[in-house]
Parts: sequence; structure tokens; C-alpha cells
Amino acid sequence: MTSTVDTPADAARPAAPSGLLTVARAPRWLRYALLAAGLLVAFWLPNGLYPAVAVDILCWALFAVAVDLLLGFTGLMSFGHAAFWGTSAYVTGLVAIHVGLPFPAAVLAGALTAALLAVPIGYLAVKRTGIYFAMVTLAFAQMVYYVANEWRSVTQGENGLQGVPRELFGLDLSDDYYFYYAILPIVLLGLLAAWRIVHSPFGRVLVGIRDNPARARALGYPVHRYKLTAFVLSGFIAGLGGGLFAVGHRFVSLEVLHWTTSGKAVIVVVLGGIGTLWGGVLGAAIVVRLEDWLSFSGFETIGLVTGGIFVLVVLLFRRGIWGSVAALAHRWWASRRR
Amino acid sequence: MRRTVGVAAASAAAVMLVAGCGGGGPQSGGDEKLTGGKIVLGVLNDQSGAYSELSGKNSVTAVEMAVADFKAKHGDDAVTKDITVETADHQNKPDVANSKAQEMYDRKGVDLILDVPTSSAALKVADVAKEKKKLYFNIGAATTDLTGKSCNKYTFHYAYDTYMLANGTGKTTTEQVGKNWYILYPNYAFGQDMEKSFSAAITAAGGKVVGKDGAPFPNTSGDFSTFLLKAPTLNPKPEVLGTMQAGAELVNVVKQYNEFKLRDKGVGLAVGLMFITDIHSLTPAALAGTTYTDAWYWNFDQQNREFADRFQSETGTRPSFAHAANYSAAMQYLEAVQAAGTDDADTVVKGLEGKEVNDVFLRNGKIRAEDHRVIHDAYLAQVKPQSEVSEPWDYVKVLKTIPAAEAFAAPSSACKM
Repeated sequence: MTSTVDTPADAARPAAPSGLLTVARAPRWLRYALLAAGLLVAFWLPNGLYPAVAVDILCWALFAVAVDLLLGFTGLMSFGHAAFWGTSAYVTGLVAIHVGLPFPAAVLAGALTAALLAVPIGYLAVKRTGIYFAMVTLAFAQMVYYVANEWRSVTQGENGLQGVPRELFGLDLSDDYYFYYAILPIVLLGLLAAWRIVHSPFGRVLVGIRDNPARARALGYPVHRYKLTAFVLSGFIAGLGGGLFAVGHRFVSLEVLHWTTSGKAVIVVVLGGIGTLWGGVLGAAIVVRLEDWLSFSGFETIGLVTGGIFVLVVLLFRRGIWGSVAALAHRWWASRRR
Repeated sequence: MRRTVGVAAASAAAVMLVAGCGGGGPQSGGDEKLTGGKIVLGVLNDQSGAYSELSGKNSVTAVEMAVADFKAKHGDDAVTKDITVETADHQNKPDVANSKAQEMYDRKGVDLILDVPTSSAALKVADVAKEKKKLYFNIGAATTDLTGKSCNKYTFHYAYDTYMLANGTGKTTTEQVGKNWYILYPNYAFGQDMEKSFSAAITAAGGKVVGKDGAPFPNTSGDFSTFLLKAPTLNPKPEVLGTMQAGAELVNVVKQYNEFKLRDKGVGLAVGLMFITDIHSLTPAALAGTTYTDAWYWNFDQQNREFADRFQSETGTRPSFAHAANYSAAMQYLEAVQAAGTDDADTVVKGLEGKEVNDVFLRNGKIRAEDHRVIHDAYLAQVKPQSEVSEPWDYVKVLKTIPAAEAFAAPSSACKM
């Protein structure tokens, strides 16, 4: 329960509000109430929503949280996270098709491969920050994309991996409604892991590095190693989402590695609120739902709408939806205490 | 304190609202004869990209014409008068096709998906049809896998396939133009399948494939120069450049083929798949003398011509074989539902299997029960020289009719229903 004073430096950093602290300010019962409401929504979701869309929301929620772990809590803007999402999707698909493991094991294999891939990419990328970091990650992601495109004997190139099975000890999960409940525990575990990472001493060091890397180094923290660890963990969680996405669609196409997928993940996080963790989940729900609604009503230029909303959010609500609401509540609590 | 509760409730409500608006699929209507009390046809194809001319929105018009004709024919005896047509653009991407097809079957109550060009997307939709147990007539895609290893009970392959194209064109060109081939194909399911089918047909006719290259698909730059310039340098020099590109990509290949004057360098042109719309955009002069296999030609006989006249008055263009096939497929489905009295997929499939059909598109047609390949007469066609073109769109003369039994391969052993 730390409390901070708003310094001018903090105020000048609206794109990265100290999410940790705003949550910590809310009273305990409110946090439990929000958690309960969130879980309730998660359990109810496929009843009120087209189940395939609900499955997509879960996968994208993991992806967004993974990106936020870097963007919001380590101050590293990755523009190449599709590499981990997509690599895991392909590995999951290949393992599920050729080895025939139950899907959670296949997804785990995919996520571990993504984490493994994140080690060399992260090692080279974390030497840079800001725009250079974004460009390096983008470059690596494009490399992975073209490798997957050309390695046709394995990835089937433009055809994509068709017929990824949903094997789980002979259970019939062909209906997306049941599949949703099969993956919900995995997704909740992933989200819990992200929450634990952020609220651990390790996570606090990350926030310290984000806010002032020089001071963190002066205090004796190996900054690069911390960043690399965060990068690998983020790759793993993104991979978890990507693997589930592959099994959910029973199909892997090159689209999962395309740079627009990386871009969409960043949009989701910015919309939900950078550095809020749960904002990413909310952002994923809104973006996936909105895209589905637009495509369902026969709207052709979906990118125009999502892009327009993104511009509005960046111009008007820099903290994103979750961040803005949290900031309002935060201010209100502060005035009550006074 | 009350306000805090308000905030919490409001945010929870907001989440619910985001999640809740809309949702809910079409409900099954118990023991009704028709799901949802009506028939819904879905046309899923490319409406903005390389294959939008040869099928696209005009195929939707063709299907609407079939619906109107069906209603006019059966009048009050029709199984229903409530027949609607849904449509979506799959952008030639298998992942978009996947979600659009699911959406059509699950949420738009579509009973039959039609068209789906682009083989990779077509195969994915076959998967969806199998899983949802709903009918799917593929028209726009060519891959023989649809009736081979990816065949299933609910998927029918209607108009043409790579075997049909290669068997006609590959054989004739090898015999008449030259034995050494260089094959250029778009590197995805369709192109790969075309390359295999053509290589087999060429070798069987005593020819040889001296080189082959897969060009990226979709080729966004429209540049094929690296491949075209390579062709005359190969040893032995190919006498035939076989291009397997389709639609707007074919147009680019042929334009560049002419620009580099490859014909003057002794490399003839063979086209794997060509639609009348392609000849129209290239002008027949650019293609004069090219032999290819056609599944249907609008000016072949009076019956075709009457359909083409009606189609032209609706759309302003003459129909490609894909347009005619979409019309025919929609009609045959509606007739099958009419005969069965229900749109229950399993019952309709039973009625269609083994059925022999003759209509504006299918000549000596038969819906094979073994692999759901729809066989019919195909045509070996040649582009007329400009001097012989007497009216707009009449660019082709039919050299010979390939009988249905010869035009298509025997049922594949890879198909297990």
C-alpha cells in the first residue's frame, strides 16, 4: 500500500500511468467486487455472445496482457509480438496434428517455443529502447514471417495449417461453447501469472527500470537481464494466447505472424489502458467484439473504424479506458480522504 | 460509499453491455421442414481482389437470378417463397473465409455456401461445412483435393478442377506447340495443384517440364519479370511458357509476356485457367491463338446465349463459366430441396448423390456419389484472332467438346467420405 505524490515527471507521463498504484488505492472490498464481477462476466460470456468470438476474446486478452507487461510495466514498446503469438500458433498446430497430444500440452509446447525464440530476439533487442527497440522487434517478426512463408514443407505457406485437432482425452469440444470453458482455466492461469509477475518484487524492479533505468542500474540491478526476463515471460504469455488461438480456429494462417497482428495487439493495449494489466483484457473484449460486429453488419473497411477509435483514444484519453476510469476513481478517493 | 457501489456496478454493467449487445445465434426451429422457416443461400467469394471480375458480385446476381427463376417456375407449389441470398468478401484469405463461413452457417442461417474461389480458402470452408454439417457447393476453386483427401459428405465440387484444365490444355499444347515446358504458378494450393496436374499431363503426352517456379501469392507488386526473363535462358529452351496464374494475376503475366516479346524469342504461351473476363480485359489480340480448356462458353449454343443475354441485361457483362455455374448450382440445390421437401442437409445430400442433370451449365452432368465431383462436358477453346471477332465478348471458338467422362479424373482413392 504505497502512496505516491504526483510529481511533474509523473504528470508528464500520461501514456504510462503507474497502474500498480491506482489499483492499490482502491479499497479492498472494491477490488474483490471487481474481481468477482470480472469472473462472473468471464463465466457468462459465451452465453451472451457468439462462442467463437468469446474464444477469440480470451486469446487476445492473453496477448494484450503479454504486450502490456512489456509496454506498461517495463517501458518497452514491442512492435513484433506477432512473432511469439504466431510461432506458438504454428508449433501448437504442428504438435497437435503430427504428435496428437491433448491440446493443452500442444499449447504449452507452442508457448515454450515462443519463449525460447524470445531469448535471442530479446537479448539483441533490449540493448535498445524506444523507437529503436520497436524497430528491432518488428524486423525480427518480419524475419519469422518470411521464414514461415517460405518453409512450405512445414508451414504449408499461404495455404496455412489446416485441420488442427481439438484433442482432449476424447472429449467432444467441436462446439465452441464447450471449448470456451475448456480454455478458460488456462487463460485465467495465464492472467494470474501476469498479475503475480507485476506484483512481485521482480515486477517492482521492472517499474523502477521503466521510470528511471539509470537509477535502477546505480542501485545495482542488472537492467538488461531484467528486461530480457520480462521479454521472455511476455513471449511465453503471448505464445499461450497464440496457441489457444490456433486450436480455437483449428487452423493457422500466415496472418498470425503478420505485422498487422502486432499492431492490433498494441492498439488493444492502448485502448484498454497501458500499464493497467486488466485494461488489456477490456481492450481485447472491445476490439474483438467491435470487429466482429462491424464484419457481421457487412462493413468493409473495419480498419478505418478501429484506427479512428485508436486516434481518438490517443488524443483524448491517453490512459485508455481502464486507466481513465481508474484515474477518476483514484481522484475521487483522494478527495474523500482529505 | 453509495457512489462507489455505483461506479462498480456501472463498470460491471459496461462490460456486460459490451459483451451482451447482439450475440445469440439463430435458433433451430424444432421440427420445421426448413431451418428458420426459409432457405438462405450464401455466396462467399472475392469481391475486391484478383478474382473479383471472374466471379465476385456478379455471381451474387447469378444466384439471385436462379432464385427468381425457381420462384417463377414453381409458383405456389414452391417449398417456400422466402429465399434470401447472403454474401461476404473473403479477400482470398483462408482465415477470413474460415470466420465468414462459420458466421454464415451459425448466425446468418445459411443452408448452402456457394462459390469460394482460391483453393486454400476453399479447403478451409470444406472443413467448416463438414463440422457444421451444412452444404457447400464449391465453384470458384480448382484444387482436386476438394474431391480427394479433403472430401466430405457436405462438400460438392461443381464447375471445374485442375485435372480438367491440365488434361485438355496440357495434352493439346504439348502435341501442337512444343514438348518442353516452363511452368509458372502462384505458390498456394491452387497453383501447386495445377503444377502437379499439368506436369502429369505433359509427361503423359510425351513432353517435358524443364523448369518451374512458384511466384508469391497474392503477388501485390504485380511483377513477374524475374520469372519471365528466366524462361528463354533455360537449357533446353522451353517452347511453352505455361502460366497457372488466374484472374488479374494472369492479366499481368500476359501483359509482361507480351512486353518482353517472348513469343518472338520462341517461347509460346499456354494458359492454365482462363475466364472470358480475363480475355476481355487483355483484349483478344494479346492472346490470339492461345488454346485453353473452358468449362462453359456463353456463345456455345442458343440455350447458353439466352442465359448470357439475361445476365448481360442485369450486370452489363457476359457471364464467365463461374457465373453460369453459380446460377446452375443454386438452381440444382433449390430443386433438390423442392424434391425433398426439406432443407435438412443429410436428406438433400441423399437426393443429390448420383443425380444426372442437364441444365444451362451442366451438359451430360452427373453428381458423382463416390466423391461429390460434379462431372459434365468441358470444352477445348481457342482465342480468335482480332479479325474474326464479330461482336463484343465473342472471343473464343470451341475446338472440341470433351465428354464428361473424359474431362474429369476417376474418383480418387484418397477420398474417404
